[in-house]
Amino acid sequence: MSRIILCVDMDAFFASVEQQVNPRLRGKPVAVIGSSNRTVIVTRSYEARKFGVKTGMTVGEAKRLCPGLVFVVGDNEKYTHTCAELEKIHCRFTPEVEIYSVDEAFLDVTTTHHLFGGPGSIGCAVKAAVKEQFGINCTVGIGPNILIAKLVSDISKPDGLRWVRDDEVPALLEDLPVEELWGIASGTRRRLEALGIRTCGELGRAPVSLLRNKFGIIGETLKLMGLGLCNRSLLVRPEDPKSIGHSWTLPQDVSDRKRIEAYLLQLSEMVGRRARKYRFIGRRVTLTIRYPDFETFAKQATLPQHTNATHDIYESVLQTLDSIRLKDRVRLLGVSLSELVRDPDQMSLVRDKVREQALHSAMDAINDRFGDFKITWGAYLSQIEVPSVIAPAWKPSGVRNVHIRNKRQHVKT
Amino acid sequence: MHVGDTISVIASFGVPYRIRPVRFRWSGRLFEVKEVTYTWRAREGQREIYHFSVSDGRALYELTFDTGSLLWTVENLEA
Repeated sequence: MSRIILCVDMDAFFASVEQQVNPRLRGKPVAVIGSSNRTVIVTRSYEARKFGVKTGMTVGEAKRLCPGLVFVVGDNEKYTHTCAELEKIHCRFTPEVEIYSVDEAFLDVTTTHHLFGGPGSIGCAVKAAVKEQFGINCTVGIGPNILIAKLVSDISKPDGLRWVRDDEVPALLEDLPVEELWGIASGTRRRLEALGIRTCGELGRAPVSLLRNKFGIIGETLKLMGLGLCNRSLLVRPEDPKSIGHSWTLPQDVSDRKRIEAYLLQLSEMVGRRARKYRFIGRRVTLTIRYPDFETFAKQATLPQHTNATHDIYESVLQTLDSIRLKDRVRLLGVSLSELVRDPDQMSLVRDKVREQALHSAMDAINDRFGDFKITWGAYLSQIEVPSVIAPAWKPSGVRNVHIRNKRQHVKT
Repeated sequence: MHVGDTISVIASFGVPYRIRPVRFRWSGRLFEVKEVTYTWRAREGQREIYHFSVSDGRALYELTFDTGSLLWTVENLEA
């Protein structure tokens, strides 16, 4: 039986939310930015896109292209709440829902669409419910797999609804540039172009041996993509994470060792707390450093045993830091814990470890009850802010549900 | 009259999650809510904080309702 997948993609999500919140922003070019003074454009409204404003541009670049652009500091609590509520809307129509990112979800309605008048009716109902509850628009693409559903959603924006059935896929793909396909970035596009392949139709007809020679094991996947085939299932239940990490672009470039240590302690606590919350322990600790010229490197260390204790993670990154000669000031720091396994809650026989576990439990309980960072390590009390950037991969449940605090900011014009 | 002041609010509590501020008194002045432009929930530890972006036709206010303290606050103001 052919599957029927809906891709529900919010249109200019953060910018649309801000335009809905503030009626004076409606119809105006709006760019959502971060709160730090080194921020870039996170997303922009469709009015801003007409001026060529793109995600990732600096505020200055965007302002030059669109002098009337209104900058709004993003408010992650609005977006994460909306994402969690959107999931409830999706689950009215099927239990098979994959929240792919904060603004995008896939619904497998293969076995439920007949209850709601068909896939098109579900698409209409989702759009209407989103509009009614939040006042914002989304685009729904419907196809026989997630590759086609995502493609149809992308080419139907904004505020679109389109269903491409199995037998319509070849015609849709024939003249479509390969980079329109989900997962084909500019590097792959250039390498395909070198083979004389520019459209999905050409990709689907290309000999698999040619693609395998050029791209190795993914050559066959590329061929299938060119034919519009994709057998990836929806990830309805979150998989166990491979790593838990946090990174932070610092407010200013830093060279002072004490300040770097304070940031690393804070990041170690964030990683340790999230690992403890979701009951994972890990054995590999990675320190990531980015210099002002954007050169970035990561160095790993393997611990003698699995842990989620803040100080084990912190001591490991300090040792790694000691082994590095910093060539410049530091722009970004990151800490992650990997080689994760489920925490078996093994009671330690070492008295110091027992006390450390009790300390973490007490701190976590206080912060669970009163809010993050209500009780914290004295060494970073001098820190004036905590990271507040939402990852696109944020999800309303599971280990990717990271509580992001807001910094109160007013609209900048 | 300061942002951060606690205020008195008349609100309607409808179907789940549909709390709607109708009018509020802030430093003795009465404000009629003409439009609730957006609502969202956030968490501060175990407490849920409901946020309401509301307009009285002249300015935009962000009101919060703290389910722990049962207090309403003017969190933000944009004239």
